[in-house]
Amino acid sequence: MKKYFLLILALAIFSLSKAQNTDCACFIKGVVRDQHSGQPVIGATVLLEGTTNGVFTDEKGRYEIRNLCPGSYKLEARIVGYNSYKQAIDLTAGHEENFNLEEQEVHLKDVEITAHRTDAPSSQPLTILSGSDLEKTRGQSLGESLKGITGVTTMQTGSSISKPVIHGLHSNRVLIMNNGVRQEGQQWGSEHAPEIDPFVATRMSVIKGAAGVRYGSDAIGGVILVEPEELPFNKTISGEVNLVGFTNGRQGVASSTLQGGIKGVSGFGWRAQGTIKRGGNIRTPDYFLDNTGINEKNFSLGAGYRNKGFGVDLFYSRFDTRIGIFSGSHIGSVTDLLNVINNGEPFVKSGFTYDIGRPNQNVTHDLLKAETHYHFNDGNRLQWTIAQQINNRNEYDLHVPRNDSIASLNHPELTFKLNTLTNDLIWDHKPIAGKITGQVGVSSLYQYNLMSGRPLIPNFNQFNIGIFWIERYVRNNWEFEAGARYDYRTLSTHRIVSRQKVSNDFTFSNASGTIGATRNFSQNFSARLNAGSAWRAPNVSELFSDGVHHGAAAFERGDSTLHPEKAINTIASVKYESEKLTIEIGGYFNYIRDFIYLKPQPDPILTVRGAFPYFKYTQTDATFKGVDVSADWEFIKNIRLTSKLSYLKAYDTRNDNYLVMIPSNRWDNQLKYTIPEFGKWHNLFLSAGNLWVARQKRVPSNSDFSPPPAAYSLWNVQAGGTMHVSEKQQLEIGISVTNLFNTVYRDYMNRFRYYSDDIGRNASLRIKWKFGA
Amino acid sequence: MNMSRKLTWMLLIGVTTLFSQCKDSGDEVEVDDENELITSVTLTFTEVGTGTITKFAYKDPDGDGGNAPTKFDTISLKANASYTVTPEFLDESKTPVENITEEIKEKDFEHLLIYTPNPTSLLTYTYGDKDSNNFPVGLTGTAKAGAAGNGKLKVQLRHQPNSKNGTATPGSDDVNLDFNLVVK
Repeated sequence: MKKYFLLILALAIFSLSKAQNTDCACFIKGVVRDQHSGQPVIGATVLLEGTTNGVFTDEKGRYEIRNLCPGSYKLEARIVGYNSYKQAIDLTAGHEENFNLEEQEVHLKDVEITAHRTDAPSSQPLTILSGSDLEKTRGQSLGESLKGITGVTTMQTGSSISKPVIHGLHSNRVLIMNNGVRQEGQQWGSEHAPEIDPFVATRMSVIKGAAGVRYGSDAIGGVILVEPEELPFNKTISGEVNLVGFTNGRQGVASSTLQGGIKGVSGFGWRAQGTIKRGGNIRTPDYFLDNTGINEKNFSLGAGYRNKGFGVDLFYSRFDTRIGIFSGSHIGSVTDLLNVINNGEPFVKSGFTYDIGRPNQNVTHDLLKAETHYHFNDGNRLQWTIAQQINNRNEYDLHVPRNDSIASLNHPELTFKLNTLTNDLIWDHKPIAGKITGQVGVSSLYQYNLMSGRPLIPNFNQFNIGIFWIERYVRNNWEFEAGARYDYRTLSTHRIVSRQKVSNDFTFSNASGTIGATRNFSQNFSARLNAGSAWRAPNVSELFSDGVHHGAAAFERGDSTLHPEKAINTIASVKYESEKLTIEIGGYFNYIRDFIYLKPQPDPILTVRGAFPYFKYTQTDATFKGVDVSADWEFIKNIRLTSKLSYLKAYDTRNDNYLVMIPSNRWDNQLKYTIPEFGKWHNLFLSAGNLWVARQKRVPSNSDFSPPPAAYSLWNVQAGGTMHVSEKQQLEIGISVTNLFNTVYRDYMNRFRYYSDDIGRNASLRIKWKFGA
Repeated sequence: MNMSRKLTWMLLIGVTTLFSQCKDSGDEVEVDDENELITSVTLTFTEVGTGTITKFAYKDPDGDGGNAPTKFDTISLKANASYTVTPEFLDESKTPVENITEEIKEKDFEHLLIYTPNPTSLLTYTYGDKDSNNFPVGLTGTAKAGAAGNGKLKVQLRHQPNSKNGTATPGSDDVNLDFNLVVK
């Protein structure tokens, strides 16, 4: 289970000193410390941006940078596993009168630094989306928001349902940690998007590669961490209002947050947040897509208390969405599908409307979480998190039943109710010899699923318990880590076969491990290597599917003898970071033994709607090899070029063939011009970019109704800026246009590519008003 | 730490409440009778003149998946003979068996049956009924067999709510069966 520390690193003392007026003899020194435990943070890099001056904190967390000339500096503190922190320091001539030996203490100030620590293996690449990068994605779904990260793509069902794909893996192979709790919905379904409101988060992080030791089963492709900000303990009331409008779908999104402490009562903090989203039919460059509206209402409430080392947090969130499914995607038989493909565009024509009719999905997801922790004075820390999630999914088919009395009930054709309880106890032991830190944890999960309607997956009860142990050793510029985990799972399924109840019991167990190293060669240059493993038990749909998958026009049959798939992932990356240039290159090799996939069978299956191609869940061995490159270069002052390349090659090594539904390679380029200050405006920017997506050429032959779509290239432009209205009020405005030239395209990873083109030009306006602290 | 202790107790009570919700999902499994299936399609050919009745059927009593279809007859007709054709659609997975033909008849304005012989020379189908919008339905009609030969007869039940226009294009297939056809 994920947890994060909210640490306050107290960069306690900034003593600015100047021995002689004209010499460059200023220095900055201080200590980097954990507020709760009081333990120094060892091995953090502290450096001055734009200079070669940088040091590491010693065993006592101390650092000191000497021989500085008077001037403006940006001090940056960084350590693997923490968010980097920046602080502007003024050593300007204006303060010169204070710079003498006698008045050395004059510039002494306490600076509070809020830094998050992620429990991700530090040797694994972690990409964080926060601040202005996250703001740009506001109004979009979770999957869409993460699309800008190298190695991350989406699998879509039309424009409204998108699931994140990390290094080619998705659904049950990507784990989402929502506010410290593993998200449990009906992930097995490719048209089941994560039930999370991105506005809850101020940080979204992606851990690429297998991270099964820390997070448990399913973390084969990677882990997505969705994290809200720490509650505003003892602070005055503040908040924000976000308004986003999109031209395509005439979609409007409003979200606001109000938070604060309680006056006169020390140690309390609270937050209330809500989002409303409403959109109508989406337009491709040439036509509207019938019934593609969305209606979403979400809210969350949080409260917490802190007293010295003790803390407790309560969190409740509700996600409630109603999504229309493009009616032109409904097919009864293979003939229907081939007719649509041959026609080149949908038979169903439509205009614009906000109305959502059949087929549609109504999904609610409730999460209730309680977390408590205690920091012992000796540095030990215990954390206990318990959470309940109730996922309620109703799916309505295009056609109501013919029988009027049944039709009048207007029941969904599919109903899933998944109830999950998770329990995590984590002990961070006190540092050993000031160099070894680590944690031991126990996680349990209990869940049951009730399903009614058209038989699709069985009812089930599932119990999982996992124990893990991770240690981290820091020495000089090296950081090593190793961990192990053991999981045990039981699964009981109940279904109806020929009007009789049939029950099956399964047990699965697995051991996983991780080992990794990080080396900081200088404050600019670092390298990481990690080998980790993860596992995933077959899900109920892989075990028991038996019928036609209508979206795919395929007859899919499960296999109850499947065993868990196991991944061993090796990932290496090097990073060079300076003020003008940042380059990160990562390569990965993910070997998945007993990879579960749908294997085409030679003979079709006959049904009353004709013969359907027959696929059976089968296991094989697969490799996912790829490279992620990202570069950010300020080649002229205030003009930056950002380039991101994702390359992936997936292969079925047992059958010597390619795999289906693997995202194609892509290259994303952005050119950005920034005006740091302009009157009341800050960080004004203008940017233009291009996304080039290759055609997926690596597909097994004769496995699909139509070949993968052609390569495409989409252009976009953005502009924005921040205005400081007053000391406590700030207005942020952004405009953007995606698919600028209204390019007609289809994407291989969009399951509706058989039926229609992808979304056309979409302009948006984003306004954010921040007030209070 | 008094406050902390209180909160810890509150948490413990919360946990107890949560875990008391454990449930056996096996108790909740039940047969779904709202889910409409077509498990059997029977075509009744009544020879014009002689009144001889022959029936040809497709049957998959447990619907898609599970067991394979149990019956898929070859339609056998006399060359150059004329027949009245009436299809029957049943859901035999339910008790009592549900007659889908009745429901199609009630909603004939959103259904269309299409009979497509291949090669076309084997049979000529003429609709014998119309819905309230004057579009054909196909629950009754005549088929005139051609010269002797072998081929297929595709029987489609098109479900076309709010879009029926007399052509095959709108809607989707509820039935799509290729019967073997022998004319001798």
